Amino acid sequence: MISAVHTLWARAWRGRPPQGWLLLVSLATAILMAAPVLYVGVRALAEDAERWTVLLDERIPALLWNTVSLAAVVGLSAGVLGLSLAWLVARTDLPWRQTLRWLVAIPLAVPPYVGAMTYVVVFGPRGWVSDIVGSTPIDMYSFAGAAFVLSIFTYPYVFLVAGSAVGRMGRAHEDVARSLGLGRFAVLRRVTLPLLRPATGAGIVLVVLYVLSDFGAVALLRYSTLTSAIYYQMGGFDTGAAAILSVVLIALTLVVLGVEASTRRRARFYESSGAAQSPRRIELGRLRWPAFIYVATVFLFAGLMPLMVLGYWTAQGLLIDGLDPRFLQFALNTLQAAGLAAAVAMFLAVPVVYLRSRHASVPAAVIERLAHAGYALPGVIVALGVIFFSLRLAPVVYGTALMLSIAYVIRFLPQAMQSASASLELVSPRIDEAARVAGLRPLGVIVKVISRLIAPGVLAGGALVFVSSAKELPATLLLRPAGFDTLAIRVWVEASDGAYHLAAPPALVMVLLSLLPLKWMLDRFREA
Amino acid sequence: MKIKILLAAMLSLLAIAGTGCATQTPVESSSADEPGTLVVYTSRKEAFVEPLLAKFTTDTGIKVEALYADDAVVNRLKEEASRPRADIMIGNDAGALEYLRLQKVLAPLPAPPAGLDSIDPAYRATDGSWFGLSARTRVFIYNKDLITETEMPATIWELTDPQWKGKFAITRGGNGSMVAHVSALRFVWGDEKSEQWIRAVKENAGAITDGHSDIRKAVGAGEFAFGLVNNYYYHLQVREPEDNNVGIIYPDQGQGDMGAMVNAAGVGFVADGPNANSAKTFAEWVLLPENQKEFSGTSLEVPLNPRIEAPEGAAAIDSYKVHALKLSSLGEVWEGTRSLIERAGLDLELK
Repeated sequence: MISAVHTLWARAWRGRPPQGWLLLVSLATAILMAAPVLYVGVRALAEDAERWTVLLDERIPALLWNTVSLAAVVGLSAGVLGLSLAWLVARTDLPWRQTLRWLVAIPLAVPPYVGAMTYVVVFGPRGWVSDIVGSTPIDMYSFAGAAFVLSIFTYPYVFLVAGSAVGRMGRAHEDVARSLGLGRFAVLRRVTLPLLRPATGAGIVLVVLYVLSDFGAVALLRYSTLTSAIYYQMGGFDTGAAAILSVVLIALTLVVLGVEASTRRRARFYESSGAAQSPRRIELGRLRWPAFIYVATVFLFAGLMPLMVLGYWTAQGLLIDGLDPRFLQFALNTLQAAGLAAAVAMFLAVPVVYLRSRHASVPAAVIERLAHAGYALPGVIVALGVIFFSLRLAPVVYGTALMLSIAYVIRFLPQAMQSASASLELVSPRIDEAARVAGLRPLGVIVKVISRLIAPGVLAGGALVFVSSAKELPATLLLRPAGFDTLAIRVWVEASDGAYHLAAPPALVMVLLSLLPLKWMLDRFREA
Repeated sequence: MKIKILLAAMLSLLAIAGTGCATQTPVESSSADEPGTLVVYTSRKEAFVEPLLAKFTTDTGIKVEALYADDAVVNRLKEEASRPRADIMIGNDAGALEYLRLQKVLAPLPAPPAGLDSIDPAYRATDGSWFGLSARTRVFIYNKDLITETEMPATIWELTDPQWKGKFAITRGGNGSMVAHVSALRFVWGDEKSEQWIRAVKENAGAITDGHSDIRKAVGAGEFAFGLVNNYYYHLQVREPEDNNVGIIYPDQGQGDMGAMVNAAGVGFVADGPNANSAKTFAEWVLLPENQKEFSGTSLEVPLNPRIEAPEGAAAIDSYKVHALKLSSLGEVWEGTRSLIERAGLDLELK
């Protein structure tokens, strides 16, 4: 009997069952990550059927339409922007393409709510343009305004992912097509673009997931989506409704992930490895300068202008009021909450990733998936989950700065996992075996050998978690304890009040902070 | 080598986090003899409350931890009711304060604080769970370049007149001041007429904004002839360096009219808050005349206590006719009013 259980256990793990402690740590991590989200679902299902019908009839259709249409338009325009830029800088003889490759990635470092703020400053009613010209070309407080701002601050996702695919393309497919008599643009349309479709699609999925989760930008631009409705529902007297709307949003997110998974299965292309030659550089000819103007314009609107607005208002702020004396405390609070999240994420990522890699099996995959639960979900839902969860089960934690770090870990642990996992894949399992043969216990293998080898990847992942946490807005707004404002909070509070000279300094600090890991991300996507 | 760097990085992060937690975590409740801290949740603007709290700390030595979170504090207080974190709620709407009292989130102090009598009973909870300090009166702000005082509507009901179509701005239905105002209208007009008013006003309004700051700025800039706001937004706009040629109308002042609707910003006491002594100290401190004045402070609201000097140019509370509604009756009709507004087609949130 016992031996039968043993056999089943071993079979589930494909003959390599993990050490008890490894399984325990990983499982605990996975449960911690998934629990708050499940709790939101439970809370929503506990609401009366009547509440559901009222919301389903009155609010959800409009919110769903607002959200889906925005996500679709932003996904499409960010896709076009990102793919065209990636192709232009990587494959053509665009002037100054090496520099431009950097410049057009900069918007990734600008949190969209900061970007939205700069657009209100310039194009809002009573903004700079309206002061000078008397009217504005675009109503920022509209669907168009929200779609525009989100597109220009999210296209770098597509740019990076599609860019890495462009970089990996060999010349074989295109050469064959040319030799069969296709013209240059026919090759582009019928060979190159289809080859890039999976990567572009993956980038667009990231954009769409972002749009679903965005709170700050749409709220500043006064556009309603499911996410902002959930936040404001929390501001009303009604967590039940917030939980119900959250379930709708979770369902929408799952649909997006499902579509992505199924398209990825259908569309796979392979480069024959080995003798792949890097592709020919395409001469743009007469289009060379128009193409340059296009790329430069994108940079102007998505990178230069926001940075100039932040620089201008930071200078104004320092001249008018000097630096807010509490600024240092805000920065320290950010450092504390995001730093703790990064440290914890680095510790937790290693066991889960190790389990997934060295004990590859269905249970290991399930654990890894669970640990991703918070990643695709908006910060508002994670915050809602952490609030419900901690109030009922861990009241000691409730209302402390620790809540913020917990929410950040739930939200961003997968960034540390992906980074650690990429490093671990490069370490042969034979090294583990060698270490065992040399007399190390399994724990010693991880601590003394593996951790050392994958340290750069883990640290890089920690840096990503740190930056993402420092920028995080909605969960921070909902979870911060009294007297614990972070830089992101200050940007939000001052920008909502129109005090741009006070909002700009912390915003600029966050943007500069986010530029640091950008170099690393660009390199990683080039190698990937 | 690398692992050492990694470990050093992690440890230093933990150390930073650790010291931070030790100094800032506001969990510990202070013991009876030391004043310690006061945790304040407020839906009011930081610019209005921060100077007041700084003065409190200077005067008493009690450290203040404040959470500025708009209307979200109401819900947060409700969620935390089983394990309260805050001692004081500083609200800008008596309806929300009374609602929290009815939910048993707010409770009276063990003994009424000294100085409570200086506030008219119409502006405080029957059991002392909260009291108002400054008035937020519903008024029209108008642009003197576009319309004269005599042309302006004199009553709230006149907003339904088609001649004003597109000429004025109001806030969204869920704005706390708007909800309280509609509650007051229901009190006089009943539900049917109030609903009719909302429908017509929504049709007539040239813009529906999130808050009142947009209205005062838009009226100042001449985008609309007038708008329905709280009185201090007029005072704020007059003090602007430009776009400041605006006037103010206190509506419904005629014989037999209902009078202007007055709401109150004030202080509520959280039931079983962690620092009961600090809460009591704050209550008595804030009721001192100089601090009642400071409470209105930069908001340019008018003190509810007529003996306290009003901001320059502001009408004192006893100089105009005031709506008869008792503010403590706002709480129970709160949710009913919100659904009435929604039913009448004025969205609570901007869409």
